[in-house]
Amino acid sequence: MLVASYYLWIAPHILLGIFLICLLRRRLQRQLPIFVGYVVFELVQFTVLFTIFLHSPFPVAIYKWTLVVGEGIGSILELGVIYELANELLLSRSTLGSMLRPVLQVVLALLLLGAAIGSGAFSGISVQRVNNIFEMINFSSNLIEAGMVLALFIFARALRVSWHSWVAGVALGFGVSASIDLVSAALRAQWGERAFSAVDLTQMASFHVCVVIWLISLFLADRTPPFPDEKLKISDLELWDQELQRMVQR
Amino acid sequence: MTIAIIFIFLGLLALALTVYLAKGHLSKSGDLEKLAIQLRPVDVGAFCNLICASEQQYLRDHLPPREFRSIHRERMGAAVDYVRCAAHNASILMRLGEAARQHSNPSVRQAGDKLLENGLRLRLYAIQVVPRLYLSMAFPKARPTPDILADTYDNMSRQVVTLSCLHFPTHGMSSAL
Repeated sequence: MLVASYYLWIAPHILLGIFLICLLRRRLQRQLPIFVGYVVFELVQFTVLFTIFLHSPFPVAIYKWTLVVGEGIGSILELGVIYELANELLLSRSTLGSMLRPVLQVVLALLLLGAAIGSGAFSGISVQRVNNIFEMINFSSNLIEAGMVLALFIFARALRVSWHSWVAGVALGFGVSASIDLVSAALRAQWGERAFSAVDLTQMASFHVCVVIWLISLFLADRTPPFPDEKLKISDLELWDQELQRMVQR
Repeated sequence: MTIAIIFIFLGLLALALTVYLAKGHLSKSGDLEKLAIQLRPVDVGAFCNLICASEQQYLRDHLPPREFRSIHRERMGAAVDYVRCAAHNASILMRLGEAARQHSNPSVRQAGDKLLENGLRLRLYAIQVVPRLYLSMAFPKARPTPDILADTYDNMSRQVVTLSCLHFPTHGMSSAL
């Protein structure tokens, strides 16, 4: 159990470091700058928490407050990434931007309402104030994140908008991780402190899955078909001519 | 207890749906030639006739109410099929537009942009129009839909021709529309 928890804590961050290097090498940071900021923040947070963890005697209070502050900043950055994904997918297109922006705002408002209801219902997860703050931020951000990513995928499917594979991978990673974390947060609320370690392991595993999805999507070749500059063929000219004639007759 | 179960259920549902919907994005076939075969012919003139208000009024004036309702239902059913075909073609032409956006020639890129924009617009209209057509089936007095869908489809067809004209391989899509 101890080995598994160490593995799930350290391995995803090593993979995340590799992912960041690959991302910067391919100069993809310009496409999703807030996401890159989030990845850097995750790595910094891990380094700080790991350093505190190694300190003897273990400063519990400092560790917990660092975790809470980190969770808060991380949640804000995650929402920024969701906005970035929405912008990349929908809002940057002039036709869709004006029509879908209000729809996404309504979805966000509903998710905020759901997060408020959930946070109110789960307010007694722990007797410790710092733990409660952490759990509320964790639950709310996961609910909003999972809901927004799902809404983006639904719109993309309905409108047949295609994403570049690595951007879709980023969204999928966030969606999978947030959904699993949402389930585990609800389980923690149900079973209380008895479920804390199991839920922690589940959340670390979900982050591991998320980073693996990001890495795989980065290595997947861009599936958009390449179109070399082909010379005009006679058959193309004939087709063009036929089409023009058909349009003139219309 | 109940709220916890609701959120567990919602989380699992979101997970399943996200994975299912993302599958399409990650495993999309890039063969436009195969997609071109999937294009369905759409007769824009026939569609315009089906949703034409004066045509509807003419039928209402000259047919007994029961017969009119039956024929109107059939006409709206056919219009729904046309809209679905047009939306299906739009999704294929959007792929063509996306590919054209990566071309080295700025004119091809511009034509690709326009094609993509019109494709998105048509799919948005299709989402709005289909429920209205069903509504018109149930309540024949309701005006089924504006002609904007037909105009947008027409624009898309023209842009595919423009792409062919710019030496961009359209795999015979313009003739299939």
